[in-house]
Amino acid sequence: MTPDEKLSLADKLYRTKYEPDPGHPHVTVDAASLKKAKTRKILKACPAGVYTKDPNDPEKVAVSHENCLECGTCRQAGADEGVEWKQPDGGKGVKYRYG
Amino acid sequence: MSDDDQVKMDAIVVGGGPAGLSAAYAMAKAGLEVMLVERGETCGSKNVGGLVYGTVLNKLIPNFFEKAPIERPVSRRTLVFLGEGEHVSMNFGADEWSRPPFNNTFVVHRSQFDRWYSKQAEAAGANLIEGMVVEDLVYEGSNGGRKAVGVKLRGDEEFRADVVVLADGANCLVSEKARADLGLKPGLVKQEYAIGVKEILGLPRGTIEDRFNLDPHEGVAIDFFGTPFEGLVGGGFLYTAKDSIHLGFAARIESLTHAGLSPNEVMDVLKAHPVVRKYIRGAELLEYSAHMIPEGGYNAVTELHGNGVMITGDAAGFVNMSIYKEGTNHAMESGVCAAETAIEAKKRGDFSAQGLAGYRDRLNQGVVMKDLKKYRKVSEVLEGSPDLLSLYPKKVNRLMIDLFTVGSQTKSETQKRAIKAFLTGLPKFRAIRDLIRARHLA
Ligand SMILES: Cc1cc2nc3c(=O)[nH]c(=O)nc-3n(C[C@H](O)[C@H](O)[C@H](O)COP(=O)(O)OP(=O)(O)OC[C@H]3O[C@@H](n4cnc5c(N)ncnc54)[C@H](O)[C@@H]3O)c2cc1C
Repeated sequence: MTPDEKLSLADKLYRTKYEPDPGHPHVTVDAASLKKAKTRKILKACPAGVYTKDPNDPEKVAVSHENCLECGTCRQAGADEGVEWKQPDGGKGVKYRYG
Repeated sequence: MSDDDQVKMDAIVVGGGPAGLSAAYAMAKAGLEVMLVERGETCGSKNVGGLVYGTVLNKLIPNFFEKAPIERPVSRRTLVFLGEGEHVSMNFGADEWSRPPFNNTFVVHRSQFDRWYSKQAEAAGANLIEGMVVEDLVYEGSNGGRKAVGVKLRGDEEFRADVVVLADGANCLVSEKARADLGLKPGLVKQEYAIGVKEILGLPRGTIEDRFNLDPHEGVAIDFFGTPFEGLVGGGFLYTAKDSIHLGFAARIESLTHAGLSPNEVMDVLKAHPVVRKYIRGAELLEYSAHMIPEGGYNAVTELHGNGVMITGDAAGFVNMSIYKEGTNHAMESGVCAAETAIEAKKRGDFSAQGLAGYRDRLNQGVVMKDLKKYRKVSEVLEGSPDLLSLYPKKVNRLMIDLFTVGSQTKSETQKRAIKAFLTGLPKFRAIRDLIRARHLA
């Protein structure tokens, strides 16, 4: 067994199972609302790091929807930051084996 | 508009967690035609939790713990106050807690437990529609006469029923929309959420039993307070499963964003604390999960029934966030209350808001609303007195360590110094006020 005290977030997410739905993002960020917002809380608040700074455009955030744990924290923290979130299609997305 | 070829159910339940499954189970048992729609591939596959409290379930399914996938009962509880390196803890338990009904407190893997529960509801006659997202309710009428008459699934398929029981959990898009569409009265305050983050850490069964001093049929639930959560409204937990450990924390989202911390950072700080690190040594991460918890309590509860609709469980905000962290049994009780109300409404043929008012009365007479009311100040106290969760635990730690540090001075000197150190930096009046307020937490 690997002692794994030092896992990165990406390593951790790799241990969680997902049913991918490529090409059907269930979460997007509205660029205009984001631009208006003074904060970028979603960059930190998401437990799965779904939102990261867009390397090509500092005004934007990149969204890795495939890592979403569907907790809804971004809907609370990022209400003013343009987060548009809906449930993934039935059976898609995170699939907890333990929960 | 009525479709002749469309089957109409007595009730449709949205969401297959403890609330929805209890509602579906109780209605199906009473002979109602029930359909439950769950967005996960199976019930449980989206659900994260900690302990399950079994008081309500044990009435629905007597001795359920003999059949359900229980990991371990909780035979011992521990409260640990963590400082930087020092720690103080309190341990308590009873041999009786290792025997049926196990103090009604169980460690489970919710994904597996909820799935088992869904099979019981199905066996009782409920129709499970899994892997389908409810997008919205279907309404007839307008304004005050607007009435929910069914659900709309993603992809536009509709199902009709006399009553819809909403049990879509903390992140409740369907309930939120229904509240707005039916004009349900808001709560006194806005709902507040915590984020719960958890790791399932695999360890051999024997290692767990040796490390935590457990017999094979025993388990421990540990609550952590203090340093890893400095500046946050929150705390951590560790529950022993059979051959894994649940380790995690919950913190108010606003306190996290205010502190500029990411949930995973907090998780790693907790894991690295000397006390915690030794508990999980050599463990293998099996799963990382996150889920919200509604923490607004009594004051955030909205009107919960309207024409053709009742809202239950986390979607209703039924979580007690005092030192007793309970959501599962409240979810189940509210599900049962909704079921009893639906059964009564069917007899009278009245599913209007008035016909469903018995839901509110049942909730008020039950444990849920009474407990939420008793702890209605928890939210406000935790937000208004952040020292309760960080400064005081730190102080108590320091005091115990200073009192028991062995040195060459006399005991009188040791004690005098320890008490002096304890009192410095304690804002006296605020401390008194905080301690008076702390009674709202227990
Ligand atoms: C980390 C953590 C620790 C906890 N610890 C404890 C504890 O120790 N003790 C305790 O009693 N409680 C605890 N709780 C709280 C407890 O888990 C909840 O109170 C309980 O699960 C609420 O049940 P529910 O049925 O209302 O909601 P959920 O269990 O969340 O179920 C909601 C269901 O609805 C489904 N759903 C949602 N939207 C849709 C849709 N549009 N269409 C179809 N289906 C949908 C979801 O997939 C889900 O299956 C904890 C929670 C967390 C997150």
